[in-house]
Amino acid sequence: MPRLNDVTDTFLWGGATDRDADPIRRALRHNRMALFGAALLTSAVAAAALAQWIAPYDPGATLQVTVEDVYAPPSAAHWLGTDDAGRDVLTNLIYGARVSLTVGFFASFISVFIGGAIGTVAGFFGGRAERVLMRFTDVVLVIPDLPLAIVLVALTRPGLINVIVVIGIVGWTGTARLVRSQTLSVKQRKFVLRARAVGASNLRILVRHIFPLVLPLIAVNTVLVMSLAILNESTLSFLGLSDPSRTSWGQMLNSAFTRGAMSAGAWWALVPPGAGIVWVVLGCSLLGYGLERVLNPRVASHHLSSAHPTSPKSAKTKRGHPHQTSPGTEFSEAPVVLDVRGASVDFTASGCPPLHAVEDVSFRLHCGEMLGVVGESGCGKTTLMLSLLRLLPTGGRIVSGEVRLSGRNLVAMGEKEMADLRWKEMAVVFQSAMSALNPIRTVGDQIAEAILRHEPRAKKIDGRVRELLDMVGIGPGRQHQYPHQYSGGMRQRAMIAMALACRPTVLFADEPTTALDVMVQAQILDVLDRLRRDLGLAVLLVTHDLGVVAEICDSVLVMYGGVVAEYADVDALFNRPRHPYTRELLRAFPDLSRPKAELVAIPGSPPSPNALPPGCRFAPRCPDASSRCHAEQPTLHILDGRHQVRCHLVESNSGVGSAHEPFRRT
Amino acid sequence: MSPSVVLRIRDLRKHYPARRSLWSGQQHGQVRAVDGVSLDLLYAELLALVGESGCGKSTLLLTLMGLERPTAGRVVFEEQDIVGLSETRMNAIRRRIQMVFQDPYESLNPTMTVGDIVAEPLAVHGLAPDKRARGAQACRALEDVGLMPAGAFLHRRPHELSGGQRQRVAVAVALVLGPDVLLADEPVSMLDVSVRAGILNLLDSLRRTRGISVLFVTHDLSTAAHIADRVAVMYLGRIVEVGFTPEVLRAPVHPYTRALISVVPVPNPRQRRQPALLPGEPPDPIDVPVGCRFHPRCPVALDRCRRVDPPLVKVGGRHHLAACLRAEAPLGKYP
Repeated sequence: MPRLNDVTDTFLWGGATDRDADPIRRALRHNRMALFGAALLTSAVAAAALAQWIAPYDPGATLQVTVEDVYAPPSAAHWLGTDDAGRDVLTNLIYGARVSLTVGFFASFISVFIGGAIGTVAGFFGGRAERVLMRFTDVVLVIPDLPLAIVLVALTRPGLINVIVVIGIVGWTGTARLVRSQTLSVKQRKFVLRARAVGASNLRILVRHIFPLVLPLIAVNTVLVMSLAILNESTLSFLGLSDPSRTSWGQMLNSAFTRGAMSAGAWWALVPPGAGIVWVVLGCSLLGYGLERVLNPRVASHHLSSAHPTSPKSAKTKRGHPHQTSPGTEFSEAPVVLDVRGASVDFTASGCPPLHAVEDVSFRLHCGEMLGVVGESGCGKTTLMLSLLRLLPTGGRIVSGEVRLSGRNLVAMGEKEMADLRWKEMAVVFQSAMSALNPIRTVGDQIAEAILRHEPRAKKIDGRVRELLDMVGIGPGRQHQYPHQYSGGMRQRAMIAMALACRPTVLFADEPTTALDVMVQAQILDVLDRLRRDLGLAVLLVTHDLGVVAEICDSVLVMYGGVVAEYADVDALFNRPRHPYTRELLRAFPDLSRPKAELVAIPGSPPSPNALPPGCRFAPRCPDASSRCHAEQPTLHILDGRHQVRCHLVESNSGVGSAHEPFRRT
Repeated sequence: MSPSVVLRIRDLRKHYPARRSLWSGQQHGQVRAVDGVSLDLLYAELLALVGESGCGKSTLLLTLMGLERPTAGRVVFEEQDIVGLSETRMNAIRRRIQMVFQDPYESLNPTMTVGDIVAEPLAVHGLAPDKRARGAQACRALEDVGLMPAGAFLHRRPHELSGGQRQRVAVAVALVLGPDVLLADEPVSMLDVSVRAGILNLLDSLRRTRGISVLFVTHDLSTAAHIADRVAVMYLGRIVEVGFTPEVLRAPVHPYTRALISVVPVPNPRQRRQPALLPGEPPDPIDVPVGCRFHPRCPVALDRCRRVDPPLVKVGGRHHLAACLRAEAPLGKYP
């Protein structure tokens, strides 16, 4: 089972975590569509291969044809009746599969070979070769392939080999285009550049680095090309352009039509060959599309889906420990906007035990407060944020605890109510501002749309859009520009403006500056800081950058393995960290003001939600862990103010050595 | 040439054709990604190259590797100008200059095993007689980067490793040829903070134990501050300041360096400062300003800065260079 982090990664961002690993086998195991297609195809191949033994009659045998034998209806002797010449339809059907499958197999092989070669050369070498080859492909593509095939077959002698060759050489264009684009995209990946940096030759790069990643796509494509080839063969033989000495399904249809099966009411001469064609083509298509769903990430859906609404009954309050902080310092006066108590998030998938992605998280966010949520990747930061917004991927939901937004419990809320709240009261800014803006509409338009969506009767939209952009430091002249005319930092600021469109009370920001430069980051942080001061906006900032937290946050939630390791005011957390994880994180973080300090890595990696250690989740990596830490889960200890620590060592007051002393690096 | 200089870069330029007209196919302007870089990489030093994205850091590395052909300039490696060498002769040089890429998720072929990935350079250069010898050398390289026991990693594929382990594999690939120069392109920026330190310490130990010179590209000044001997600051295709790390951090001369230092968040809430935000947007390498390339965003620009392109000159200490007209005049107090 993949780690939960991978699951969410793949869901949310289409991350290439382990998609590349042995895809065809996985595809078949997990995809019923592909399995069903493969079953259809296998049965047809088996019938064709075993025709001699399973067909009830010999196709070449001259029967004693009597009048009763012509178009005899299905009977015990002839299960599918007989045709115009008194031959057994079932026998013809079985032998016909041989022609269809032979043509399909060899013709698609020719097509894929030609298309693959052209696509690879064009994609890999580029330049003039690519221009010539792809224009040639385009020209062939616009020639309708069936009429071309008819002309070519009619000009040569209709025979099995001719049909195979002709169908093969008219059907390669799609493959060429596909292989070219895949080669092109693999070629741009960094490992190819690395191979070139090592000095690998073109041949080596093609064989070792590019082919293995193009091959699965070619395999899928071959199956689809095969189904087209089979259809083309049937059409040609229906038109009489086939080897007369071999029975094929198209030929069976042809003779039934031309020799009065319709007027004789002999449906049994028409339906079986038609069904045979459908059987095989359907098998190919299902197999092909089934494989494609797994191999081509763009086909499978990865978009965010909101979590199932939780029934109030299942939302038991409290699984963990009571949350009794007397909110500490300066924010105790400000009203509480978001109050999260003992929230736990599970991911459920059929056939797997539920994964506890987040457990027993409690915090309070006041008006105008900025809370930093930090931790390594895979510690549940983003999952926590998405769960509060009820935007988790399918299967994930809050299973216990309460999330109160200005007094209302979000966990018990219906999907519709939640959707209303989502932009109005709680807005989100994601990391990738590039993909969140529509490239063909002006930024001003998109912000106006966000306002109108929630306030259909809003007036003076233009003025409000200008005001919002001004708030994030974007001049009025840029309102009518398109996203591509904005720099990366401006796009992120425009996203913040859009998030503020409906005057939310809480802003959720998921790594809003991670992809940006420090100079731009400083601008964005400046904007966020001003907003919460001027508008009293409460901000939940998910980040991995402790520097950013120290710079602008008021309080910090350190997450590890899905639980809160430490929750404190920013000064306490940085100067008197009580949890060994916090301390180790700080020791690993480079500090410009103390360049002499040694950076110390934390060995190992965070636990995955399906393999959580029995005791403290940090114990396996903790330098101070005792046997108790490995055996028993620590509870959340509440120290002075709102300083909360989930660590056994706090009790003995000796473990985390630097407790109560200003934190110093070694 | 002083013997301690391993790689001498002089006035290196890499320009790409920019927009082409849709109708005539005529070229309008150029992207001046690398625009006159001069820099020395010394023996067994760790030189950090710092700058914003789009300033040409990565293009510079690709040019040094011979993966991009420079438009002009010289790169002298072992008394030999390696610009414009034939592919065969460049391949011989590539054994000596190796590169580590930014993204450990992308830079390892997902279909190959770790053993094959690490052994590939040996096969390419025919450096080991057979598969077994290659495997043994790959094992040694894996152990050198701290992946132990190496045997346990040989048959795994990249997706079975953590990000930090993958980046160690990428370093092992670069090391297996025994290079003299390692070019590292943001080697830790995709990794979690908790594992960054491990990779950084690994690079640091490599140059200490093997005398490898490391050119370390990063956008993060605080990382550079911790491990680099010298820092070079790049802006819009050119080095604007270079010097020993403590000196550059303590007494930055170029206003861009000063701004860069002021915006780096410090993980100490008691040291919150007002960052010196630069006006305007990050510049566009198609449209390099006349005169000093920094003057449109410079808070202390003089009138002369609009006309004169300042050269990199000695300022302050022994090897502290900066390209700023202000630095030539007596150092005034900057706001």
